[in-house]
Amino acid sequence: MAEARVETLTSNDWGGGTLPYRVGHRKLGMWLFIMSDSLTFGALLVTYSYARVASVNWPTPFPFNPSIIFSTAMTFVLLSSSLTMVFAVSASKRQKRATARKWIAATMVLGLTFIALHLMEWNHLIGEGLAPFELPEEWAKAFPGASPLFGSAFFGITGLHMFHVFSGVCYLGVIAARIKKLNDDVEVAGLYWHFVDLVWMFVFPLIYLLSVDYAGVLAK
Amino acid sequence: MVDAKQREVVALNMVLLALAALSLGVAVWDVFSDTFRAGTDDLFLVLVCLMLALLFATPPLLWARANGLLKNPFAEEAVAEGGVDMEIAHEVHGGSDRQNSYVWGALLGLTAFEVFLAYVKVPLTLMVIILMGASIIKAALIIAYFMHLKFERLSLILTIVPTLVVLLCLFAILFPDSFRLLKMRPAEPLQKVEQKQEG
Repeated sequence: MAEARVETLTSNDWGGGTLPYRVGHRKLGMWLFIMSDSLTFGALLVTYSYARVASVNWPTPFPFNPSIIFSTAMTFVLLSSSLTMVFAVSASKRQKRATARKWIAATMVLGLTFIALHLMEWNHLIGEGLAPFELPEEWAKAFPGASPLFGSAFFGITGLHMFHVFSGVCYLGVIAARIKKLNDDVEVAGLYWHFVDLVWMFVFPLIYLLSVDYAGVLAK
Repeated sequence: MVDAKQREVVALNMVLLALAALSLGVAVWDVFSDTFRAGTDDLFLVLVCLMLALLFATPPLLWARANGLLKNPFAEEAVAEGGVDMEIAHEVHGGSDRQNSYVWGALLGLTAFEVFLAYVKVPLTLMVIILMGASIIKAALIIAYFMHLKFERLSLILTIVPTLVVLLCLFAILFPDSFRLLKMRPAEPLQKVEQKQEG
């Protein structure tokens, strides 16, 4: 009887079934959060592109060493952290608590590596004189009429992303400490972590690769 | 009793299909009308009409699929490629660790391609298109395999993916305006023009 009732509740996609998605409330909630958060990042990236298109000149200052080497290494670290997170989720589904914890710890280490690399990159740019509404003097000379919005776009977007990575590391720490059996917590945390990785897949080409100084304007 | 309900469902689906056709018609009419200029207004109207068409067409299409009226044309290919074993593996816990490692390799490969592309002299527009194309493929791989969406129910996929795509398109609709802003700019900075006028 109960089984039949569950069947009618879940089998009908558009017929008013109370479990039309057949996922738990945590997972559905995380998906909804991811959708809203992707719109936040979408709005920021579109605003950045809009400002860039509407500007007479936009600086393309990033040299291969250190900016592109650093950002490529960061991409590698973040992609690898996604893979370790996948292993953590698969271990928790097989009820292997200790293994899941180890993989989550590996993910956290990679996340912290990402933040460390990113802060070094920030430090280097701030040292050159980049500020949210100000370009370094060298850049302003090399790219005449360049928009000073470069700094605010760069720090705003990468800063919000870095904050997401940092929150993700804290979130994973809590999940690893309180890991329980028969629970989809690890999977839901994995969704968040992969989403942070996904956002970087757009930030990296738009912010870094499209601002490469391949003509060597600044080196001259 | 069952017959009456069946007729009702068919009638409702027909109404929805008609509304979908109407929305598509408005989008097509806008593109072929004399006033089409591919500006923000036109893009907005076309996108909203396409979104409405998708919204109206989804229930009838799902109903047709559930009743065997519509078959997935790619179903045979998928079985030939993936094999029955993979299908069963998906049933149990989605992609295997090995499959996810391949996905990771593909993501790294695409990233290497993007970095390489940044140092090849191609027109900026073409580069943006290729970079965004590669990024969308990477995002799709992450969502489908790492985030497991490929192995979820169709209703969840249909809720998340089109909504996100449409909303991001709504943002992107503003771009014609940014080009307009660039063209409206004076060739010289305003301060210099004012100084000249004063002097």
